[in-house]
Amino acid sequence: MSAHTLDRTAARSTRRRTDQPGRARPGLLPLAFAAPALVLYLGFLVWPALQALWISLTDWDGLSDQQNFVGLDNYLALFDDKVVGIAAVNNVLWSIVTIVLPMTLGLLFAVVLNRKSRTSPIFRTIFYAPAVLPLVSIASIWAWLYDPSDGAINTVLRTIGLSGLEQSWLGQDSTALWSVMIPAVWVRTGFPMLLYLAALQSIPDELYEAASMDGANRRKQFTRITFPSLRDTHYIVLALSLIESFKVFDLVYAMTYGGPGYSTQVMGTWMYANVFQYFNAGYGTAIAVVITVVAVAAGIPYVRSQVKSS
Amino acid sequence: MTARTTHHPPAPDSVAGTRTRPSGRRKRAEGFALTAGSAVGALLWISPLILLVISALRPLSDFLSNGPVSWPQEITLANFPEAWEAGQFGTAYLNSTILLLVKVPLGVFVASLLAYALSKLVMPFRNVILFTVVLGMTVPIYIAIVPLFTMLRGVGMTDSILGIIPPYIAFGLPLQVLILQSFFRRVPGELLEAARIDGAGDVRIFFRIVVPLSVPALVTVAILDGVATWNELFLALSLLSSESRRTIPLGLLNFQGQFATNYTGLAAGILIAVIPILVLYMVLQKYIVGGLTAGATKG
Repeated sequence: MSAHTLDRTAARSTRRRTDQPGRARPGLLPLAFAAPALVLYLGFLVWPALQALWISLTDWDGLSDQQNFVGLDNYLALFDDKVVGIAAVNNVLWSIVTIVLPMTLGLLFAVVLNRKSRTSPIFRTIFYAPAVLPLVSIASIWAWLYDPSDGAINTVLRTIGLSGLEQSWLGQDSTALWSVMIPAVWVRTGFPMLLYLAALQSIPDELYEAASMDGANRRKQFTRITFPSLRDTHYIVLALSLIESFKVFDLVYAMTYGGPGYSTQVMGTWMYANVFQYFNAGYGTAIAVVITVVAVAAGIPYVRSQVKSS
Repeated sequence: MTARTTHHPPAPDSVAGTRTRPSGRRKRAEGFALTAGSAVGALLWISPLILLVISALRPLSDFLSNGPVSWPQEITLANFPEAWEAGQFGTAYLNSTILLLVKVPLGVFVASLLAYALSKLVMPFRNVILFTVVLGMTVPIYIAIVPLFTMLRGVGMTDSILGIIPPYIAFGLPLQVLILQSFFRRVPGELLEAARIDGAGDVRIFFRIVVPLSVPALVTVAILDGVATWNELFLALSLLSSESRRTIPLGLLNFQGQFATNYTGLAAGILIAVIPILVLYMVLQKYIVGGLTAGATKG
């Protein structure tokens, strides 16, 4: 942008200054403030993402100098790749389970803990604790609990006389994905709980008092007052969880590495395997492009709402 | 999960239906029941960590003969040094700490500069920039990995803790800018105007007024960023290859493979990796809880 247009933009903005008290004089200074972050953002996020679009159109192995343009071949190959089919289904299941269960449990915990009580903050601390741990450690902990012979889960089942339910939890197709989702739910429940708690605390007591004077029972109070008051929170939790769910990688990678077979592959792990294990950087990047397009499209409404309200 | 679900006719509630205001005693009994219920729930919730601590403190033989869900016959600390050595956690801690100490202050600083420009200065294309930056929240990091790898290899910075920092900062910016600009926005404009009349420039106003007034927000953002950086796996896994460059998640990943059947040693190793975070979490939870709620609800 030339200095001339910059001045014009700035001049226009100056006229609006009366309704924005405290806004600075126009000039180059705002750009100087913005520059370091923007350079890093453009250089290490936007630019690589755009380069990825190009790489996904090549047959590059990721190492050699040879990089041939192959058009949409990588994208067409996605349709013939049965692992991509498995991964896509797993991603959808993952999103549903790791959004719905944490939201439901988080709401339940929040409603129960939303009392003036000395113990509530302690419980809140405990329920949120898994969320601060590295996902690799969550994976280690649960793989340790799932151990078929000496893990706590099978041991407990044996002890209470349900040895028929003992499983090789992470070692068989039928249970592996679900067994990876349980720790994810464990980690993800704390966040909606905190948001719901904050929202519950902002509902005025008078609403409940008035409702109870009118003879509304508890259930009615929940469905007519509490739940509708949480609408914004539902939306935010849902949007953030959705954005997060597309990024699933750590737990699957650390617990099953996509196996047994391909049964727990998700797009992120399959992309990683293609790039770093099979040296199909072009094809792996095409997988990443697809999921990124879906993730960004799904996230746009949320980002717009956040930017607009500010 | 729409508002429509709230219009379902509520089912008759025979317990609470007739009683709209519980008597004092009843209320207390109810409070007790809720507390007891929460206590059981919390205990179950945290039981994986409790089991982990108990197992880390017992000899392997004791664990194997009595099973994982039992009280130890013998207490020992020997698992910890063994796990520390085998997992090379010293190196991992050093690397993760260097990463944290460089990345977090630098990232929060540049994010706050941008947030200030977007919220308090006359910024051309303000909305476009804010939207573009915040949209980065939705971009999964693995889209960028091949180009980043190539770019860093070009300057000999793969397998380097310093080389991994710029992409970390870039991917941390969206959330930080979103939270900080919304916080800066609430700094009264009159205050800034008054300082300006007194002859203070934008730089001075930023450091002398905006930053001091925003310490809680900056601390929160720094903590959230610290947790995310400390725990990050994908980029570290893809870019750092040698043993001497392992961060905590990489060290633990490697350790987990080695110690698969040494259950008590594994438990000790996992604890070595998580105890400092858990302690910090308990100390700093006010900021974490406050920041998450503020960051997610206020735009």
